[in-house]
Amino acid sequence: MSVELPGEDLLARVARGDQAALGELYDRYAPRIYGLIVHILPSREAAEDILQAVFARLWHESPHLRREGGSVAAWLVVSAREAAVARLRSLRMHPPDDGHQGHGHGGETGNPESRKTKSATSPPAARSARRKAETVRQVAGEAARTLPAAWLPQAKEIALIDDRLALLHKAINQLPPPQREALELAVFAGLSESEIAAALGEPLGKVRTSLRAAVTFVKHRRRAVCGTWAANI
Amino acid sequence: MGCQHLEEVYELWWLGALAEQGSRDLHEHLARQCPHCLARVRDAAETVYMLGLASKPVRPHPRVKVELLRQITPKPAPDR
Repeated sequence: MSVELPGEDLLARVARGDQAALGELYDRYAPRIYGLIVHILPSREAAEDILQAVFARLWHESPHLRREGGSVAAWLVVSAREAAVARLRSLRMHPPDDGHQGHGHGGETGNPESRKTKSATSPPAARSARRKAETVRQVAGEAARTLPAAWLPQAKEIALIDDRLALLHKAINQLPPPQREALELAVFAGLSESEIAAALGEPLGKVRTSLRAAVTFVKHRRRAVCGTWAANI
Repeated sequence: MGCQHLEEVYELWWLGALAEQGSRDLHEHLARQCPHCLARVRDAAETVYMLGLASKPVRPHPRVKVELLRQITPKPAPDR
C-alpha cells in the first residue's frame, strides 16, 4: 500500500525544482481548485487558464511558501479564488466580445474594428496562446500584492478542516437564505458589500449586518467542529 | 490602539468584500506585524478556505496538466 506524502513534503520537492512533485500536487488538488474556479467563472476556457496559471505561480513561489511554512492547500484555494475573481471583474468591465477574453463560441459582437484586425491576423491558436499568456501575467502580477505565507494557516489546521469538510458545509446550508445569498455573492461573485447591496436592491447597512452575521456563524461552526475554538485567539 | 474593532472584518478582507479604504487600512496594519491581527487573519483564512471548497470538485481536462508541465519545463538551449 502506498502512503500519500503530505502536501508540504511535495511542496519541498517542488521548491527544489521537481516537476513530478508539482504533477502530484496538481493531481491531488486540481479537482477542488478547478471546482472553485468554474463556480466563479462563466467560461471553462478561462477557468482552465486560471487553473494552469495558479499552479505555474506555485512552481515559481514554492521556495518562498515553503520557507514561511504556510499550507499549500490554503495557498492554492486563496490564490485561485483571488485570480478567478479578478478575472471575473475584468470580464464584467471588458466583456468577452471586445476581444479581451474568448469563450470559444465564436460570438463576436464587440468593437468591429478591433474584431476585424484580430480575426484577420490571429488564428484561433494564436489568440488562445495570447490569452493564456495574459492570464499567466495577470496571476503572476497579483503576487506583488499578495500573500505573505505567514498570513496563511498551517497544514495541520487545514487537515482538520479537510477531515470535517462535509460537516462544515452542512453548517453553511443552515444559514438563513438572505445571509447565505449575501455570502455566496461575496465568495463566488467577488462582490463587495456595497456591490452586494446594489445587486440585491437592499440597504447597505442591512447587507453589511447580514454578511457579517453569516461569516460569524460559519466561523463559529468551524471552530466548534474542528475543536479549535481558542486555538488562534 | 486595540484591534477589537477589526474583529468582524478579517474574513471579509480576505474575500475582497470591504470598501477600498477599509481593505487598505487592514493591509497596512497587517504589514506592521500586529500579532493579534496576524493570528486572526490566519484563522480567517481557514474560514475562507472552507467556504471556497463549498463547490463540488470538478476534474479538469487532462490537456491542462500536460500544458502546465510543458509550460514549466525549461526549453533546451538551441544547438549551435
